[in-house]
Order: sequence, then C-alpha cells, then structure tokens
Amino acid sequence: MAGSASTGEPESEREITITRVFDAPARLLFEAYSKPEHIMQWFGPKGWPVTLCEIDFRVGGRFRFAMTGPSGRQNTPFGGEYLEIVTNRKIVYDNGFETKGAGRMVVTVTFDEFAAGRTRLTIHTVFGSIAMYRSHTSRGFEQGTNSGLDNLADLVGRLLASERA
Amino acid sequence: MAQTPANLDLVFAALADPTRRAILARLAQGEATVNELVEPFSLRQPSISKHLKVLEGAGLVSRGRNAQYRPVRLDAAPLGAAAEWLGNYRRFWEMSLDRLDAYVRVMQQKEKRDGRKRKHRRA
Repeated sequence: MAGSASTGEPESEREITITRVFDAPARLLFEAYSKPEHIMQWFGPKGWPVTLCEIDFRVGGRFRFAMTGPSGRQNTPFGGEYLEIVTNRKIVYDNGFETKGAGRMVVTVTFDEFAAGRTRLTIHTVFGSIAMYRSHTSRGFEQGTNSGLDNLADLVGRLLASERA
Repeated sequence: MAQTPANLDLVFAALADPTRRAILARLAQGEATVNELVEPFSLRQPSISKHLKVLEGAGLVSRGRNAQYRPVRLDAAPLGAAAEWLGNYRRFWEMSLDRLDAYVRVMQQKEKRDGRKRKHRRA
C-alpha cells in the first residue's frame, strides 16, 4: 500500500532504502522513534535541532516537526499521519512539508532485532512521484550547508541532466 | 560509509580534480576526440590522456571503437549512485542515524543505571 495512493509511476523509480545496524535492542530504537523527548535528541543533522516536535503516537495520529538551521530561523514544518504501528517492530507514516503543492512520501521504518541486542533499522521511503524523488536526492533539504558537497552535487546533477536530455 | 559501493570511491576521486570536472562538463555537450579536448585546456596530450584514464577507470567516460579518433564520451550511469549518495535525503538520514547511534547508547546507559537503582531500592 505504501505510496500507492499517489501517481502510477513505478515505485522502483521513486524509492530509497537506508539501513543501519545498531548495538541496541529494537525496543529502545522504537522508543527513540516514538517520543518527542527522544526525537529531539537525535533527529536531523548536527546544527539543525528539532525545535518543534509534536507527536500523537497512534495509528491515525499525527506528527509535526520543524528544524532550526544555523541561521536561527525555523524551517518550514513537516509532518503527517501514522499509518501503521507495530510495537518494537514497525512504524509507517506519511510525511511532507507544509508548503502549498509539496509532495508526500510514505516512510516505513522496520526494527529487526536479528540477534539479542543487535537491531537492523531499515528506512524505506517511497516518494509520491519520480520528480519528487529526484528533487530530494539531487538537491537541498538544507540549502547552503556543506557547500563543497553541495557544489559537487550540483555538478553531478547537471551532468546527469545533460545525459538525460 | 557502509552503503557506499567501492566504485563510488573511484567516482569521487575522479570528480575531485578541477580539470577532470571541466572535461566532464565539456563532454556533457557531446563526445570529443582527445585532440579536441587538448585545445581548450592548455594541457599537453599525455596529461589529458592521464586524466581520461582516471575518468575511464571510474566508468565516467568511454572511448569509441573508431581506431583513428576514438572519441571520448560521457557515461553518466555511475553518477546516479554518486548523486544518490550526495542527495540530501540519504545524507540527512545518515547523519541522523549517526546521532541516533550515539543517543541509544545514552539510553542504554541510563537504563542500566536506573535498573541498578531499582534493584538497590528493592534490596
């Protein structure tokens, strides 16, 4: 069901999977994901603290976050609805910026404690469209930071665009 | 970085040089022979060839089969993985997960401490 409410574009062309293995039990990672006091301690890159964090952690409940960058200005809030919650195993939510016309994404986070105290966290994101996928994977969420990498990202984006043209 | 394929290192190493980036930018407009690449860069041909070898090794350019001219063309496929890595969504999460890793250690320590306290209280 993830993302199927959006365009008919194949999911394989607008999804991204990120995984990480932690030396921690699934229940702790699940807890870190489900309470504002924890989220505010880890979510987002360093220097971009979460300064708005509202969570109604139940299926059908909503969340709303915003981050403040080095400029001191709070960025556009983003958030959505919890679509599925399986305690200590899985959280599915829909998410997007509170900007007119902003796309939505469906994110499935799974917590797989494959050995005692060892958990594989998988974040599978399906963007609402290929265009949205591209805009999130070839240019800024946080504009202006880390300009060396951003310049390289620009170049790579331009070369890719010229190849497609 | 765990998810970074090995050849991504080659791609980034190739992109780390301004001349090679300029060559790629030139090739983005269409294929060119080595001689055509020598002109705008005021470099000697062996130097250009050396840069092309690095780009070829990273899979970013390929050479045509025409024995005489062997035109060089841009191969953008490896850039897809590079763009994805650079893309802020992935970078955002990698940075967040670094912090989450540090934070769950704090949670675990706190839990151990609290567990001990409870045991002491019970005793």
